Amino acid sequence: MKTIYNEKQNKHSKMIKDLQNLPKVETPENFEFNLMTRINNKNFGNVENSKPVFDWIKFLAPSAVVVTAIILLFILLPTSEQITDPLLYQAQKLDSQTIVSNSILAGKEFTKNQNTVKQNSNSTTQKKSVSPNRTVQNLSPLLPFWTSRSVSLDDYINGGRNSRNLQQGNVVHGGEDSAPLDRFFVAEKPDQTTLKKYRAHADSLRKAQLKADSLKKVQKMP
Amino acid sequence: MNKLLTELKDEELIKEFQDSNTLEAYEILVKRYKDPLMNFVYRFVGDRDICTDIVQDTMIKFYLNKDSYRSFAKFSTWIYTIAGNLAKNELKRRRRRVIFSISNSDDERTPQIEDKMFRSPEKLTDGKIRNEIIEKALLKVKPVYREVVILRDIQDLSYDEISEITGLAIGTVKSRINRGRSQLQKLLKHIYKE
Repeated sequence: MKTIYNEKQNKHSKMIKDLQNLPKVETPENFEFNLMTRINNKNFGNVENSKPVFDWIKFLAPSAVVVTAIILLFILLPTSEQITDPLLYQAQKLDSQTIVSNSILAGKEFTKNQNTVKQNSNSTTQKKSVSPNRTVQNLSPLLPFWTSRSVSLDDYINGGRNSRNLQQGNVVHGGEDSAPLDRFFVAEKPDQTTLKKYRAHADSLRKAQLKADSLKKVQKMP
Repeated sequence: MNKLLTELKDEELIKEFQDSNTLEAYEILVKRYKDPLMNFVYRFVGDRDICTDIVQDTMIKFYLNKDSYRSFAKFSTWIYTIAGNLAKNELKRRRRRVIFSISNSDDERTPQIEDKMFRSPEKLTDGKIRNEIIEKALLKVKPVYREVVILRDIQDLSYDEISEITGLAIGTVKSRINRGRSQLQKLLKHIYKE
């Protein structure tokens, strides 16, 4: 490293010599007199005032940016209560679904051709009915959306847009039928395993009811 | 007493000025440093009147802020730092003035190096003209490089002292000196043909 600097110094040696030989500049003769006069008269000019002053603009400019960023963060970011994953919501609804199996109803109305699984009255997420031949007849998922404002994403991408979807902004809504969500949602078909599970549940209930009936008949017999 | 004071080192003199507010100690220090500072500032700024003002302001700053000097530092580096900062402020002020003044032409703003093509070789060997050209070229070197080149090659200060004055690491000082010298050599290529 040293040699590099020395080599470079040698390269500039002529110029360095000339720089060293430049004529020395001296202060004017009255320099000291003027200086002492200024000091005696306490005429310090700008020097006295040139103490470091707290620069408000330099301080406020970045702090204003930071404060604005924080405020925007609070305004724009939704709180944890507001964050509801529609998919999660749907799954929860499905889990909480209870199949109405009133024993009286089951005794009187549970017939072979009325093998309907009812949803909880509060449940608005999905309606499904199982036909006697145990095939799903109607699968119309009731999503927590205002249907008039919902957009089929696949159709939208494939170009199959309809005028209803394009005029979403014009939909006037009133009453209590409010849509809890207004965002993109990927509609999924009901899971086959879930359906099987419910079907098995219904079957077991039916069998239990039949057993109970047969037991009652046996008890009634003299 | 006065004779005794003149024999004191810079650091001892400022200690005397700090402790007893002895104005003679201050005056001796002013006498010792006014010319080296003038030379340094003149090479840096390039205007004699402005340089005189800067050196005066440096001395007044030294007078007003004598207590801010700490004995572990060399007095010379401390006073050079003050002068250097004032000189840099002056350059900044000048640059601002240049930005805001539309009417000023480029010729008025920066000192121009005369076209050496029109000078005969005899003239170029003439010391006075040669010095003039070097002075003007030096003012064209970037201020960050110019400062260290002046301190090293004109004021003959050590790398350690320059490092202390500028607040830069020694490695940075050395590289800046070399860059400054290279810039200057480029500007003076007609004089220093390799």
